[in-house]
Amino acid sequence: MKVRLEKTFPMPASADAAWALLQDIAGVAACMPGAKITEQVDATHYKGTVAVKLGPASLSFRGEIEVKAVDAATRTLHLFAKGTDTGGGSAASMDLTARIDALDAASCNLQGDSEVSMSGKAASFGARMMGPVADQVIGQFAANFAGRLKQAPPQDAAAPAQGAAAPAPEAKPLNALALAWAVIKGWLRAMIGR
Amino acid sequence: MGDMSDVKEREDKLQGMGTSLLRKEDARFIRGQGSYVDDIKLPGMLFGAIVRSPFAHARIKGIDKAKALACPGVVAVLTADDLKPVNLHWMPTLGGDVQAVLADKKVCFQYQEVAMVLASDRYAAYDGAGLVEVDYEELPAIVDPKKSMAPDAPIIREDIEDKKEVGHGPRTHPNHIFTWEAGDKAAADAAFKSAEVTVREEILNPRVHPCPLETCGCVASFDKATGYLTVYMTSQAPHLVRTVLAMLSGIAESKIRVVGGDIGGGFGNKVPVYPGYVVAIVASIVTGVPIKWIESRIDNISTTGFARDYHGVGELAADKDGRIKGLRFTALADHGAFNSHVSATKFPAGLFSICTGSYAIPNAYARVDAVYTNKAPGGVAYRCSLRVTEAIYLIERMMDVLALKLGLDKAEIRRRNFVKSEQFPYTTAFGWTLDSGAYHTALDKVLKAVDYEGLRKEQAQKRADPKSPTLMGIGISTFTEIVGAGPTKVCDILGVGLFDSCEIRVHPTGGVIARLGTMSQGQGHATTYAQIIATELGLPASDIVVEEGDTDKAPYGAGTWGSRSTPVSGAATAMAARKIKEKAKKIAAHLLEVSEGDLEWEIDRFKVKGDPSQAKTMKEICMVAHTGNLPAGMEQGLNAVTYYDPPNLTFPFGAYLCVVDVDKFTGEVKVRRFYALDDCGTRINPMIIEGQIHGGLTEAFAVAMGQQIPFDENGNHLGNSLMDYFLPTAVETPKWETDHTVTQCPHHPLGAKGVAESPHVGGIPCFSNAVIDAFAHLGVTHMDMPHSAWRVWQQCSALGVNKR
Repeated sequence: MKVRLEKTFPMPASADAAWALLQDIAGVAACMPGAKITEQVDATHYKGTVAVKLGPASLSFRGEIEVKAVDAATRTLHLFAKGTDTGGGSAASMDLTARIDALDAASCNLQGDSEVSMSGKAASFGARMMGPVADQVIGQFAANFAGRLKQAPPQDAAAPAQGAAAPAPEAKPLNALALAWAVIKGWLRAMIGR
Repeated sequence: MGDMSDVKEREDKLQGMGTSLLRKEDARFIRGQGSYVDDIKLPGMLFGAIVRSPFAHARIKGIDKAKALACPGVVAVLTADDLKPVNLHWMPTLGGDVQAVLADKKVCFQYQEVAMVLASDRYAAYDGAGLVEVDYEELPAIVDPKKSMAPDAPIIREDIEDKKEVGHGPRTHPNHIFTWEAGDKAAADAAFKSAEVTVREEILNPRVHPCPLETCGCVASFDKATGYLTVYMTSQAPHLVRTVLAMLSGIAESKIRVVGGDIGGGFGNKVPVYPGYVVAIVASIVTGVPIKWIESRIDNISTTGFARDYHGVGELAADKDGRIKGLRFTALADHGAFNSHVSATKFPAGLFSICTGSYAIPNAYARVDAVYTNKAPGGVAYRCSLRVTEAIYLIERMMDVLALKLGLDKAEIRRRNFVKSEQFPYTTAFGWTLDSGAYHTALDKVLKAVDYEGLRKEQAQKRADPKSPTLMGIGISTFTEIVGAGPTKVCDILGVGLFDSCEIRVHPTGGVIARLGTMSQGQGHATTYAQIIATELGLPASDIVVEEGDTDKAPYGAGTWGSRSTPVSGAATAMAARKIKEKAKKIAAHLLEVSEGDLEWEIDRFKVKGDPSQAKTMKEICMVAHTGNLPAGMEQGLNAVTYYDPPNLTFPFGAYLCVVDVDKFTGEVKVRRFYALDDCGTRINPMIIEGQIHGGLTEAFAVAMGQQIPFDENGNHLGNSLMDYFLPTAVETPKWETDHTVTQCPHHPLGAKGVAESPHVGGIPCFSNAVIDAFAHLGVTHMDMPHSAWRVWQQCSALGVNKR
């Protein structure tokens, strides 16, 4: 089961500040609902976990992230993540290319292009929900990313964020109820908007 | 004695053949008192849960058991490496291939068995299974069988990559299994070349699953002290399984006991030997305690015995009057990752060559190419003899396609091509000898019953009215089935001929126990066989007990599948009863002091011709048979056993008609009427036949209207729960009208043919023909199953018929 997502989110910060945060893999992971970096293996390899709770079913993916390319000139990051559900029976991978496009001194666009692939039970049961769920997850990610940028000093992103940046949000599982509501809202909006 | 009311009363008392006797087994089923494999609890029993692959194709780089073994209640974790020392990590299949019992270095389909966790209860076993960490390296998967034989296709089975054949002739590609051909290609090609009209259509029988209510499972119990293995399991063929287990394990077959118990539906799904059974048996041998393994619904639908997946091409050549001159049918068969397709040794494509159907077709050729894909293995016959649904679906669809091309009525084209009653026994171009039939009579009876002309008139009016919110379709199917495998000269599985057996013991007071090599899964054997014996021996059916499925008790037989119980074991039952009756006659002659030739049989007794007051009832004879008052040299007892090797298969047939109304705007198909006439020869229990027809039609409806196992491009199974897989309930199921004719089977001792599969085989094309007929005036020649509202709506949209 594959789903391709191309999204653009406006960010309330300069392109440089956003680019600085984008290169902080642990920081980026912390913006992902339910995700956490557990270990940095080397300069381009990380280990991490993602927990998703859907009703009684808990999926807990454990896997690796490889930073495939970092291009400062175009402010583009390319990474590949894959993992298996430690509860058995599911696997997922994501190929993500993220780019920061400058707009003006205080705003930019975060552009993401990703292909998410699911295998096993998650695909058998989650297929019909996968598009809307992925939309919501990415939406929450963008909101968290924007939130972090707002709290970080605008021009001094490279400096150590001593107390200025909020502590990384707790890696708590994606809340099923909130997610379901967001998905339904998304559908309703799509229906009415048509 | 002998007056008609007395004879009738005695006959009624027997409740023999022709009586709609209520099923003896239902009392315990409807009270929830059946004994299924999951009801079996043995002391010290452990539970097995299988760890399955999330990937359709991947290499296994490592398996870490540590966390699972630390889980409370977990006793052991078995992988392929643990089965290697006993050489049971691979097993031979019924299709001439081998199959991984637990994945050895790589997985070739999603949900493939990778490990089994043994624990003190099933919850601990499942918890443990979730903690086994398997390191996979994903490989590209083949989902579309049309891509299997591409030059650059990934090789699915590295274990047999260099093998020139896997049981059925030369292979041309590592993903090729076999190519099977039948008929005369040159003659068929010549018929096409000189034909006035030809038609061609690509027709898919999608991958479906029989989905019995009870999933598969077993309790394996190996007694280390005696070396005796007992396996309680869901099997349609316990004796064949015992033979396979002996071959696999090296345990003497006399020390293996397979017990069937009650089985909650099979429909072909419970014929093969699955990895779960084998691992449970090995685990019991290793641990010395009983092991229970029961499939979940997901396990059942995703890994055990799917059916069909035949990508067919049908071609017919005819003259301009619609008389068929030639037939060419081919199919690309998707067998999944291992060829564990159940087939008789000489029939790798099953009985696909029955595809000339009910028609006299002089020249015919068929070819099936079977390939591997990264999907679950199997290929069972889902409520049909193997590949018969696929064959009949093709011919019955192609008859409609040809009729459309010629502008002929769909009933008329069938009439013009039927094998005529006087032509039986009729040998088809593929060499099958159709035993008996009355095809014209059956079709005409149905057309009259439904007022066919009236229906066509109504349809013409609806088609002429652009305001009609519905499209009306009329489907006809006039099928011939091939059941009752089979004569040992042509049919065997692993070298064992497909005969079957019955042993009858008559007790002094007239009670009877009969044991058979077949295995009921809901067919009502306990009732039907008893009725045969009741009529043959003149003893009441109520006192006749039928036992099957325990290999220590019953004589050897090939089991119940392919509607073979009545054609083969029913015949064995009649023959065994007749041996007993012959002995009884000798005793009667001795008691009445007349010669055997002076006796005649009447319902339940032998009487002296011309002196009806002189008679001995069967009950009296039963007691005498256990005394010393016997003809000189005769042994005591009234027992017999018969092994019956049928001289031919049987060919039940039928004529079905279906009327549907298709909602142009929602695509919903409403079955307005379904009229099914079946001819299965002599009718033993009309009520049970009726029930079988209802069940078969319901499963035909399921397949035609909704069942399908879809996969995504990575080989992920997208329909393995009842949330997705269509199992019709009383809410969806249409009303069935049934009818019958009786054309006896000339070679069966009772004149009976099988029946349970006819409605499935004949029903599916009838539904499709009805749905497609609704669009026929718009130029539509074929639509693939399933005819779900979504797919039919797409057709309506493509044609623009739903524009207001």
